[in-house]
Amino acid sequence: MASSAHTRPLSDIEIRVKALESLLVEKGLVDQAAVDALIDKYEHKVGPRNGAKVVARAWVDPEYKARLLAHGTEAIEELGFSGMQGEDMVVVENTADVHNVLVCTLCSCYPWPTLGLPPVWYKSAPYRSRVVIEPRGVLKEFGLELPEATEVRVWDSTSEVRYMVLPERPAGTEHLSEDELAALVTRDAMIGVTKVSK
Amino acid sequence: MSINAAQAIGASNSRGGSTKLDVEVAPRFAAGQRIRVRKINPAGHTRMPQYLRGCEGVIAQDFGVFVFPDTHAHGGDQKPQHVYSVRFTAKEVWGREGGERDVLLVDVWDDYMDAVP
Repeated sequence: MASSAHTRPLSDIEIRVKALESLLVEKGLVDQAAVDALIDKYEHKVGPRNGAKVVARAWVDPEYKARLLAHGTEAIEELGFSGMQGEDMVVVENTADVHNVLVCTLCSCYPWPTLGLPPVWYKSAPYRSRVVIEPRGVLKEFGLELPEATEVRVWDSTSEVRYMVLPERPAGTEHLSEDELAALVTRDAMIGVTKVSK
Repeated sequence: MSINAAQAIGASNSRGGSTKLDVEVAPRFAAGQRIRVRKINPAGHTRMPQYLRGCEGVIAQDFGVFVFPDTHAHGGDQKPQHVYSVRFTAKEVWGREGGERDVLLVDVWDDYMDAVP
């Protein structure tokens, strides 16, 4: 029997997804090109660089920041980001006294238009169950140790509202342009498991 | 009817499909009010996490009127009602092990809560 070291067997979930996709296509319920177009969009065009642009704009433009914190969906749409899983956005601000971190204990709710698709750890049972009970311990595992006096706010995204963290602007970045600032902003900082560093 | 590529991308580029409803429904709660999460154990879909049932919290913000998932997920009524951001202290939820300065903010529908007198 021929075997190849380069081909691993498909996992059960991969087989199930392939079977479902074939059925949907065979029955004419979905066009293969539509599936490919959506995958291409979420793999290559939508991702945390969008959110980074929102954060950088808020750092350089106080009026934009005020709009972003008051009316998240509309302010994010000003920069051209909107759509599925970002219909009702709330942006929460990290400060010297308050640190925000996001989770969806029920499933994997996540703001697609600004952050793209969620990382695997965000969807994992250990992250989802532990961050609500011992947020400081989980953050420490991400390399973030917070002062005891800091209030940690864990946002459990149980409804259709989608959250995004506005991280603190790092000190010593006064001379940087908006684009240079955006380049510093990471996905994890917008989930709230790390800070932005210079 | 099949969804073609243009429609799929068009839909994902648009404003998506908010479950927020443009209808007038009186809110049962107001910001600052103290609530207790009902102890419910529905057999079907719900968005009220088990770990908060029976806990007391404070309404932080009213997000407006949304579809109620417990009924709508099963093909039933939209049962429009307010969703609030509710603030729970970690001490209230986890007891002694809860962090002194940790809080949970959770989205809660009207039907999941009672006022605490």
